[in-house]
Amino acid sequence: MSLNLNEFLGRTKSLFRKRRMNREMVEELEFHQALLRERLIRDGLSQSQARATARRTFGNTARWHERLRELWQFRTLENLFRDITFSIRLLRKTPGFTVIALLTLALGVGANTAVFSLVNSLLLRPLSIPHSEELIVFGMYRGDLNIINSFPVPFFRALESKHDVFREAFAFFSEGMQVHGQSTNEDIPGVLVSGNYFDALQTPPIMGRYLTPADDRPGGSPEGLAAVISEGFWQSWFARSPNVIGSRLTIANTAFTVVGVMPKRFIGADPLRRPSIFVPLSAEPIIDAPRDLTSAGTHGWWLTAMARRQPGVTLDQINAALGPISMPIVRATVSEPSNINNLEKKHFHFAADSGSRGFTYIRSSFRKPLVTLFCMCGGILLLACLNLASLLMARAAARERELATRFAMGATRRRLIQQLLIESLLLALAGTAIGLTLAPLVSQSLAITLLSGSGGDTLHLDTSPDLRVLSFAAAIALFSTVLIGLIPAIHATSGSLNEQIKDGQHAASARRRNRLQPIMLASEVALALILVVGAGLLATSLFRLFTSGAGFNPKGVVNIALSMEKQPLDGDALMRLYQQFGEGLSHQPGVASVSFARIVPLTRFMWDDDHSRPGGVSHDLYLNAVGPNYFQTMSIPIYQGREFRWSDTMSSGRKIIINQAAANLFFPNQNPIGQRLLHGDKKKDEFDIVAVVGDAKYENLRDTAPAAAYLPITQIEDKKPSFNAIVKTTGPIAPLAATARALTTRLAPDIPAPVLTTMDSVVEGSVSTERVMALLSVFFAACALLVTGIGLYGTLAYNTSRRTSEIGIRMALGAKRSSVMALVFRSNAVIAAFGLAAGLATALAASRALSSFLYETSPRDPWIIISAVLSLGIIASVASLYPALRAARIEPIAAIRCE
Amino acid sequence: MFREESQDSGDLIQGTLEMLVLKALVRGPLHGYAVAEWIHQTSQQLLKVEEGALYPALHRLELRGLLSATWGASENNRRAKFYQLTAEGKKRLYAESSRWARLSAAVAFVMQAT
Repeated sequence: MSLNLNEFLGRTKSLFRKRRMNREMVEELEFHQALLRERLIRDGLSQSQARATARRTFGNTARWHERLRELWQFRTLENLFRDITFSIRLLRKTPGFTVIALLTLALGVGANTAVFSLVNSLLLRPLSIPHSEELIVFGMYRGDLNIINSFPVPFFRALESKHDVFREAFAFFSEGMQVHGQSTNEDIPGVLVSGNYFDALQTPPIMGRYLTPADDRPGGSPEGLAAVISEGFWQSWFARSPNVIGSRLTIANTAFTVVGVMPKRFIGADPLRRPSIFVPLSAEPIIDAPRDLTSAGTHGWWLTAMARRQPGVTLDQINAALGPISMPIVRATVSEPSNINNLEKKHFHFAADSGSRGFTYIRSSFRKPLVTLFCMCGGILLLACLNLASLLMARAAARERELATRFAMGATRRRLIQQLLIESLLLALAGTAIGLTLAPLVSQSLAITLLSGSGGDTLHLDTSPDLRVLSFAAAIALFSTVLIGLIPAIHATSGSLNEQIKDGQHAASARRRNRLQPIMLASEVALALILVVGAGLLATSLFRLFTSGAGFNPKGVVNIALSMEKQPLDGDALMRLYQQFGEGLSHQPGVASVSFARIVPLTRFMWDDDHSRPGGVSHDLYLNAVGPNYFQTMSIPIYQGREFRWSDTMSSGRKIIINQAAANLFFPNQNPIGQRLLHGDKKKDEFDIVAVVGDAKYENLRDTAPAAAYLPITQIEDKKPSFNAIVKTTGPIAPLAATARALTTRLAPDIPAPVLTTMDSVVEGSVSTERVMALLSVFFAACALLVTGIGLYGTLAYNTSRRTSEIGIRMALGAKRSSVMALVFRSNAVIAAFGLAAGLATALAASRALSSFLYETSPRDPWIIISAVLSLGIIASVASLYPALRAARIEPIAAIRCE
Repeated sequence: MFREESQDSGDLIQGTLEMLVLKALVRGPLHGYAVAEWIHQTSQQLLKVEEGALYPALHRLELRGLLSATWGASENNRRAKFYQLTAEGKKRLYAESSRWARLSAAVAFVMQAT
């Protein structure tokens, strides 16, 4: 009889009235027994006889209840519950297996989810603004393949007025702004925005208004300079005062009026920034003073330009429309004919790309590492699943007899699969849950490490899980459950189980061998080998990168960044301030020497110019401006000549120090000291070379040290140059920070609190991507080795224990212990050999994908590949040796009697 | 047709008991013991309903909505569970009894053949 509605309702009702139903059943049966006893007494039996007879005819009351209860229950639900408790009992009986299964799965799922949430937040997640899919980001092609996304103001202004295929073109530039607080200026993250910025991003302010094209004019609108602030800044700076609209904010020593407050969810068009202040783009000369990128015109490339596409217009149409207007804009805005010709020759043109995810420079540099990491994680998850599947398969095989018995007693195949599946489902759910709880922690720390080389503290990577991350996690949980559960379950219950019940454990002979398991184990070995090779390559590369040396010694060197642009001093007075600041620091205990530098090496800042010998060809030299004792402070050797001195002022003649590479370039086999170099296009300045110093890395650790020259900070033509104090110290940093703060309050009360970084962290940050990749890959590889070892050991141990009687018979028939060992060992050796061969082939083909991350390391470095193969071989041998040894110790008599 | 018959024969014992239970309740609500007694008496003490079969049958019929149950006082004033035919149960009883009549007639024909 099929389940009808009445039955369903009745059973559902009984689910919620369990206790009452039980009580009523007891009462009903008790009533029946009472009537039975009364009749028996009427028939002439004594009280006790009647009771005994009634009990006898009635039988076991507990069984009764059970039968009636069963009627009222959902069969499947109840079976499910029974299967779950049974599975839990089984899993608890083998804690080693359970723990390993949970850990490997948690690792695979956790790593995948963590890296996916990074991928999601950096590469996939759209901006949370209305209709973000309409946004486009502008770029420029200049002959080479690279697209340039930094626009000069005139180019952007020319695009801003167009609105046939796109509308509301806007530009922005994120930078720190000096806002006058209680006593001094503070560095606040801000963004310069063009007039259409807010219109295009379509997010209403929670108070006041946002900026419009009327604000984006030199000097601001007729009411003056306007600024919009974020909700967070409104809270921290104005304590959420309702009267904030109209209040004054002194930014870069200039009064701005707060006209609006943007809600917390609004972060602008750069997904990694959290700007607190939005000011009009036309105010850039004020904000950046004494720098002025706006008047640099077509020589200053700095703005990110975006727009909204007109409804129904495709990217292709926009690109087609941008082509013909590109060169006319160049001709109208670039003043030098040579530059126009140059751009024309390179087929310069504007282009548009999807901007739904906003724009950040970081994205292009992290896309490849993240995708590579993601592949590694996928590998480790697949490995964990294969491993679990083969272990479960071996377990199921060991339970063949139990399953066959249950099958014979009427259990359906579906029911048996259900029970096996529930076991793996439990493992998968628990493992996934552990992995998912760990994932946010992992992704957060990965994000911090990754971004540490790119101005980490000003960037925010929002790795919080969203719908996409959750569905991804659900998908991989489902994938792993099916993979580790369904395959072994189907496998275990396939074939003729009746035959097995007859054969029992004897069936585990070579006759009925599991064909799927060796394939799975071999792919596990192959995957592990690929991971180990990848890890070996990345780790070796990182090691070589670190040991290659930067050309300077970062140990104990601390940088103190000073922002001097907005304080009143100038020229010689400012130099005296630096000198006093340096002297103040050098009195600090532990400080060995103090100097200054415009650019801290390895921070990706770059300054270069053409130099030439009088009458000679010109070469490009990387430049830096440094103070006295710089080379001593950085431990860069001085081969010839002297350090700069405070007395090297403008009036004492221009001085320059070159490195060995530059000396080789300009003065091969000559003494450069006392020679002269000309600098720049106009070649009007002559520089006396006062020293030749050792080569040092400049932009990053990866590139070889370029030919470089150093100018004295005392001879820099900038108006209010900002330098970093470079301090070599043996002492702790905290007192140094306190001293630096005290010195700035005394000497330059207007400047923001100085920012300290250690040179060690700069070096580490400059290879942050390489570090994260190497660390993770080594971790994954170690896990892969371990997991593979466990998998090989576990399955072989199970399989061997099932062959105990066979081995006993072999030995009784005269097989030597050594040949039994070889027999057991060989079965895994074949699997490992196949796996290694397949893995090697794949690794050789795939390792080239890593070549762009590798430093002085060939993606087919034979030593690394050989050691990877060896290490896996050793792991496989060790994992197979123990079961083989155990097999060899089998006592034939005991083994056969066991049957 | 053949399938229906084979199904019937499989459920013969259980189906017959259920039919007898439904029949016992035609004249009004009874508790379990009275149902068993009524069948025992009415069958001239030929049929004895085992408690192990009676209560599952009663509960099954209740679950399927052929019987409804209420708690009331028994003849000697004890709380007892009284079963009563529902409209559905009456319909089923008519269907069952005509089926039974056909079946028993068919069996009789066969057994009387020489």
